[in-house]
Order: sequence, then structure tokens, then C-alpha cells
Amino acid sequence: MSDTLIEIKDLKCRIDNQNILQGLNLKINKGEVHAIMGPNGSGKSTLSSVLAGNDNYEITKGSIIFLGEDITEMSPEERSWKGMFLAFQYPVEIPGVSNINFLRTALNERNKYFGIDSIPAKDFLKMVAEKSMLVGLDNKLKNRSVNEGFSGGEKKRNEIFQMAMLNPKLAILDETDSGLDIDALKIVANGVNKLKSSENATVVITHYQRLLDYIIPDFVHVLHEGKIIKTGDKSLAFELEKKGYDWLKTDAVI
Amino acid sequence: MIIKDLNQHPSNSEGNKLALANLIKNTFPTRKEEIWKYTPLKKLKKINFHNQEHFETKDLESFNLPNLDGIIIVFENGRYNSKLSKIIDSDEIDVSFSSNTFPGNNFSTIKQNNYFTSLNSSFLIDSVMINVNSNTRISKNLNFINIVSSNNCLSNTKFSIVLSANSNINVRQYFLGNSNAVNGFINHENNIYLNDSSFLTVNKFQELNNNFNFCNEFITQKNDSQFIMNTFSCSGIIVRNDIVSDVNGENCHTELNGVFSPTKNEHIDNHTTINHLVPNCKSFENYKGVLKENGVGVFNGKVIVHQDAQKIEAFQKNNNILLDDDSIIYSKPELEIYADDVKCSHGSTTGQFDQEALFYLRSRGLSIKKSLELMTLGFINEVIQKSNNLEYVDFVLKRLLKS
Repeated sequence: MSDTLIEIKDLKCRIDNQNILQGLNLKINKGEVHAIMGPNGSGKSTLSSVLAGNDNYEITKGSIIFLGEDITEMSPEERSWKGMFLAFQYPVEIPGVSNINFLRTALNERNKYFGIDSIPAKDFLKMVAEKSMLVGLDNKLKNRSVNEGFSGGEKKRNEIFQMAMLNPKLAILDETDSGLDIDALKIVANGVNKLKSSENATVVITHYQRLLDYIIPDFVHVLHEGKIIKTGDKSLAFELEKKGYDWLKTDAVI
Repeated sequence: MIIKDLNQHPSNSEGNKLALANLIKNTFPTRKEEIWKYTPLKKLKKINFHNQEHFETKDLESFNLPNLDGIIIVFENGRYNSKLSKIIDSDEIDVSFSSNTFPGNNFSTIKQNNYFTSLNSSFLIDSVMINVNSNTRISKNLNFINIVSSNNCLSNTKFSIVLSANSNINVRQYFLGNSNAVNGFINHENNIYLNDSSFLTVNKFQELNNNFNFCNEFITQKNDSQFIMNTFSCSGIIVRNDIVSDVNGENCHTELNGVFSPTKNEHIDNHTTINHLVPNCKSFENYKGVLKENGVGVFNGKVIVHQDAQKIEAFQKNNNILLDDDSIIYSKPELEIYADDVKCSHGSTTGQFDQEALFYLRSRGLSIKKSLELMTLGFINEVIQKSNNLEYVDFVLKRLLKS
């Protein structure tokens, strides 16, 4: 099998008659880390939502080939079963549903899809103990309702904890650094790094170069008006930090 | 409503005759009456009822009820079914089949003017009366199982319980429609009396399928008593609960909770009245509705704080979730306060599940069905947990979610 994990071709999408992505191309291979940067409103979060299958967005053109299969019409749950994971910028609070119960249901739903037996309680709890260590998630938080009353940092840690439990092939981190202090940022980045392997890939969406000190990208892309206008290595992020985006926008026009 | 062969009806005591005279004075309720405004009874009115003498239920297994190791009292089609019942002799509790000795008559006017309690008294044959003796704590649940298993069967039943001073018991009531039975009607009355410092919890479960169930419930509380009633209503053509509670002793705790989940044109109506007659009491109400597929729900909760009933704390809450655009909820929380030093609040919310939350769960690999189930669970969990028993919680959840 090829090393390509996902290939996005000429992707266009809109919401409420407003075009957001306007012909986006991106190819990600196994083992790679890609960073996507860009000014506000350039379509970064839209891209992550569309990849995860949010049907608020209408795909008008193009394709998303994930593991050799076009997933543009696929439900979010099926994408998840096949190995897609989106860490939300704003994780949703779900009152009354315990974190643990939720994750167990998620794993069992996936097992059911692949025709595998439910995970035994003992193995599940062992896995929870192991994976929560990765991001130093407080024991109490695991048993509390999903994200309810969690601080900003706890919510983001919980996202990475869930990522560790689901062990995705493609993880998209949508501004996981926003609202994190330096210590929490290190812990979260460290967790992401530990989950990295030659079989999976990570997409990091961020505004700031800072996160990329901890999660080192192989490629940095600049998104502007729904298109990738420049691609470089990690040094591009430093350049952006210094110069902002305006010089690129001008380049793009020419 | 037509009752066939009235002359041959086996109920013919003096009490029945008096009640029948009274019933004839009461007209069949219509939506013109405020308390029936949201619950049309056309479906009930057009049925030809008869009295079914025999029992159909061979055993209780098929109902899958949780842990039945205490006393079991089974009524079927309006008659006491001794074969399925299990009465355990004890010094702590008396079970008898006549309710003549029930204390107090504070509800007699309401009962006389109520069509369905009059109907009940007119045709009542068997009833059960429980006395819990003073200074006892009954550890095993008392199970009262009320089944309708025959088509068009009018089943009038009555359950009365008196807790003597300083006694404590948990009661589980089941109102069940055999899945083969259609258009049966359990018209039930609960009479509950709590003497000083007694504790009673009633977990009431209603799964009528294609049958009707009305419960008229009358509660009296004396000093320092605690009454909790959790009503879990899963299904039925029309299910109506009318709880009237007179808190007539100081330092009482009263709690009425419920979850109702009508689907497929079912109609579930909860009416409650808590009368705070004396000072220094607390009451809590928490009802949750989960509605879909043309299901209709009604919540009408009334708390009345009478004059001089100072230092009352009364809280009432009704939250509803509509899972689609075809279901209807009528919610009417009411507070009437005639005292000036009280702490009372009431509130009602109705909404749909957050689409963002649904997407979040689906993106983690939960199907739409599982996601909604989990969110529903989260929504009703707070109330279900009040039944305070893991096995029972599981049972209620499964049946309410119809999974």
C-alpha cells in the first residue's frame, strides 16, 4: 500500500452561500506532521470541520481521498471508525454523560463496525489508566461528565486523552494551543509527540509558531482565502511569526 | 365510556352503590375543564369496557422486573392474583385486602368530584391495604404489580399504605400492559399516609403499551416525615398521574420526581399538587420529558403555600427535550403563595439537543442513534439516579430508552 494517508484535491465548500474553501490541495503521507497556519477567516477551522464530516458545510467540488477511499459523503462516525480524529478548538460540554462511559461506547461502536467483540471492562480500565498518564489527566476528570466544568486546559488535555484512546491514523488538532499556559502546552505537545508513529500523521492548525517549538512540523502551509498559498518547512513558521501574513498575500496576487 | 353488563358487575357493596350515584352526577371530563385542557379523552371515551374475571398471566418472568425478593402483591385485570403474589408474614408489616381503616378523610371532597376516583369507587372489587408498624425499617422492597392483560378490560384498583411513627419502607409499583392486550384501562388510586418521622419512597413504573393508565394519588404527611415519589412513565395510549400531597406536619421533606418518554402518538400527563399547610417544610419537584415521534407530554405542577405556612422552601423544575419536530410538550409550573416568608422557585425549559454536541459525539465514532441515546441518558440521569439502586436504574433506563 502507498504511503499516502490522505489526499485533498481541489476542495471547494461553502456555508450559508458563502464560499470558504476555494480549491484546496493537500497531500499527507504516513509519518508526517503538517502545520496549517493562516490569518483569521482563512478557512483553517472549516478545513478541519469538513475533514471530520460536519454537514453544516456543503462540498461543492473536489474530493477527499482517505486511505484510498473518497470520504466526502461519509458520516462523521464512519470516518472516525476508519481512523480520523479531530481535536476540537472548543470541545463541547455534555452534561450527565461520564467521560468514561462515553469513551467506552465510542470504542465499542468502532469494534462493532469491524465485527470485533466489545472491549472487556478490565482491559478498558487498564487502557484508561495508561493513556490518561500521557497527558496527566486528573483521575476525577475521567469520571466527570464530558468536559462539564473543565477548565480550558483540562478540556484540551481531555481531547488528547481521547485521541490516545482512539489511536487515530490521522489526527487534526484545531488550535489545541489556544487557551493553554506554557506548562499545559508542553504536556499536551508531549502527549501528541508520544502518539506519533510511522503509521499515522498529524495536522496541527495554529496561529502561533510557539506550539511548533514542541510539535516539530515537516511541512508548514499557509492558508489564505480558502487556498494554500505557500508551503515550506518549519522555518516558514518563524518567518511568519516575524513578518505576519501580509507579504504573502501580496505575493499571491502576483 | 360504555361499561357492558353493568347489572352483572360483581361490585355491589353499599360503598359501590353510593359511589355510583356520585359518578352519575359527575360528567365525563372534557378539555373545557382546566385540568383536562391538554389531555383529550376521546380515545378513552369511545371504548366499550367490560370486566374481565380471569387471569392470563402465567408468571412474572416475561416482564423482566428487577429483584423481586420482598413482598409481591399482584393485581391483574382489577382482581387480586394470589397465585402470582407472595405475602410474607411478619411482625413489622400487615397486608390486608380491605381499605376501610384508612385514616383521615381530607381528600373526600376531591374524590367525590373527580370522575375517575368516583369510577374507581363504583366498580372497585379488590383493594390492598398495607400497615407498616412503628419503629420498623423494612429492608426489602415491597412490590405492587398491577397488570392489565385483557382487551377492553376496565380495571379499578386501590393501594393504600399507612406508615406508623418512625417506620421506613421502599415501595415499587409497576403498572404494566401485557403486550398482547389492547385498550385495557387501569384506573388506580393510591392512598398514602405518613405518620410522624416515617420515611416512604415509592418508585412507580408505567409501561402500558397499548393500554390506558390513570393514577389518582393522595398523600398526607405528618411531622418530620419524608416522602419521595419517582414516576417513570415509558408508554401507554394515555397515561395520567394526579398526585395531591397534603403536607400537614412540620419539618417534612417531600420530593416528586419523574421521567416520561411518550412516542408514537402516546400521551403522558403528570399533574401534581403540593399543599404546604404548615410551616418549616421543604419540597422538591423535578420532572424530565423526552419526546419523539408525535409523542405528547403534559406537566402541570402546582405548589400552594397556604397562609401562615412560613419558612417553606419549595423548588419545582420541568425540563423537556424534543427529539424531533413532531412531538409536543405542554408545561405549566404553578406557584401560589399566601405566606410571606418563603423561598420558592419554579422553572421550565424545552429544547432540542445541541447539533454541535451531536457532531462532537459522532466525530468520536458514535452513531446518531447511540449519540442521542447517550445525550438522553445524560439528560435524565439526574432523576433516574434518585431511585438509588443500580439494578433498578439499569432497568428503568433500558425501558425508558426503549433500547
